[in-house]
Amino acid sequence: MRRYVLRRVLQMIPLLVGVSLLVFVLLASAPGDPVDMLIRSNPSVTMSDIARLKHLYGLDQPIIVRYAKWLGRTLQGDLGWSLAHQVPVARLVGERLPNSLMLVGTGIVIAILVAIPAGIYSALRQYSVADYLASLGTFVGFSIPVFWFGLIMIYIFAVKLRVLPPGGMREAGAVPGWPATLDYLRHLILPSLVIALYSTAALARYTRSSMLEVIRQDYIRTARAKGLSELRIAGHHALRNAMIPIVTVLALTMPSLFGGAPVTESVFAWPGIGQLLVQSVLVGDYVVAMAVLMMIAALVLAFNLAADIVYGLLDPRIRYA
Amino acid sequence: MHDLGRRFTRHRLAIAGGLVSVVLLAGSMSASLIAPYRFEEIDLKNLFKPPSRSHVLGTDELGHDVLTRVLYAGRISLIVGLVATVISTVAGVVIGLLAGYYGGLLDDLLMRVTDVFISVPPIAVMFILAKSLGPGLRSIVVVLCLFGWMGTARLVRGEVLRIKSQDFVEATLALGSSDGRVIARHLIPNTLAPVIVAATLAVGQAILSESTISYFGLGIQPPVPSWGNMLQNAQEYLWTAPWLALYPGFCIFVTVLAFNLLGDGLRDALDPKLKQ
Repeated sequence: MRRYVLRRVLQMIPLLVGVSLLVFVLLASAPGDPVDMLIRSNPSVTMSDIARLKHLYGLDQPIIVRYAKWLGRTLQGDLGWSLAHQVPVARLVGERLPNSLMLVGTGIVIAILVAIPAGIYSALRQYSVADYLASLGTFVGFSIPVFWFGLIMIYIFAVKLRVLPPGGMREAGAVPGWPATLDYLRHLILPSLVIALYSTAALARYTRSSMLEVIRQDYIRTARAKGLSELRIAGHHALRNAMIPIVTVLALTMPSLFGGAPVTESVFAWPGIGQLLVQSVLVGDYVVAMAVLMMIAALVLAFNLAADIVYGLLDPRIRYA
Repeated sequence: MHDLGRRFTRHRLAIAGGLVSVVLLAGSMSASLIAPYRFEEIDLKNLFKPPSRSHVLGTDELGHDVLTRVLYAGRISLIVGLVATVISTVAGVVIGLLAGYYGGLLDDLLMRVTDVFISVPPIAVMFILAKSLGPGLRSIVVVLCLFGWMGTARLVRGEVLRIKSQDFVEATLALGSSDGRVIARHLIPNTLAPVIVAATLAVGQAILSESTISYFGLGIQPPVPSWGNMLQNAQEYLWTAPWLALYPGFCIFVTVLAFNLLGDGLRDALDPKLKQ
């Protein structure tokens, strides 16, 4: 087991290098490098200033040289300097990462609380009206554009009902202590519902099919033949076995939550790394974009690995060599 | 074949999805015939008019008729979705066939490249690529294709590996068939069903991605309307002109839903083994 994990972690390294190279080349070929961004607001810059600045930042070198330098610095823990915010990237990301983790964490809790009971119920009452509605619901979840779902939620709860704020994370001047916490939670509701939508649909679907697969097994028939109650069969014998693939899928939906963060955070002006990423790409602050993208990519790979490991721990039939 | 038709029609939602897709296609392809106005027509005397008899879905910040723009936008969004899906499906099939059939070093190389593309956070990287190519119709198709082939490639590779080990392929090769003949006569036909299902589902995904990129201003550029770019300014007008946010988004939703239901029905019809 330890050797398996070690091998997988080692396999992640070339993959991360590949991802960083691809993203770096894409970013480097985008128009408007950081120097262009700096001089846009300053009309007195001459051509020689531009050339000097580009030389200073190393932007006049070939892409592969710049990539090698970036890789070297990053491996030493230096993420660079944000030209748009004029702070170190590490500090910028550090300030915003907790906000994203809070949003994604709340999203995953919502997804679990809604999807797993819904999926189990659907499977136990296959082809019932509730099952049919739940299936339709998952299709709706897969098909709604996330940003539009966000707009609709803002329209309903902020514009029409006026019960929740339309965006942001805190009201200016909220009294510290309980009122501020309550205010924060009120801001958290809509974006976390929106970010949870896709994962909820995916999780409900997998829960249902996993549960359906298990309840057809012989040992469920045996349990029924022993005269156990349906509740005990479903809760004890079926669910525990069905949970194995569900846990895996849960780990695999984490990447999609982080992948959805840029859109959701932008719509709700939630100050997380997703919003930071979108803003950085739009204004051309590529040092920041690169750092955030690599962080998300590393998280995705880590969760994939976690899914495989958890699968092996939960299912004794699987042995890793 | 008969059985196939019956399995498909049993799926009422899939039928509905198919019908809706056809209606949407027909409606937006005939946009120039049925649209009440011209899509680039600016009417400064009629800004932000709520839905009324002369403007069924209202007007926007430039006095454009929203219904007209929704119809034309549908044409763009559907064309982008379909073209991107066809190209990325063909690319995926070729890559999957090469990797699965020839195996070895080529397989390793192609699959590692696939892993890299799958591990990249899609939306943000699409933003970057759209920016470097310069926003527009052609670059959005390139972006969608570049990040749309991996699923099909993995799917086809898996199918090819499965089929390749079966006796009839071995027999064909023993009888002296060329690689090309085995691929064209045996592998491609046998992988077709799951590829068609995946492609149908991919159309919806492509339309979703296009609308997201256009919503952030990096896709289709105004004055050419797409459902995504129509929503670009909708958020600030939610308080004063909510109809601007409502209709284009609803069109995206219905279209994607239709293709997803259709794909699901096709899966059940084409591959009874997968049926739950």
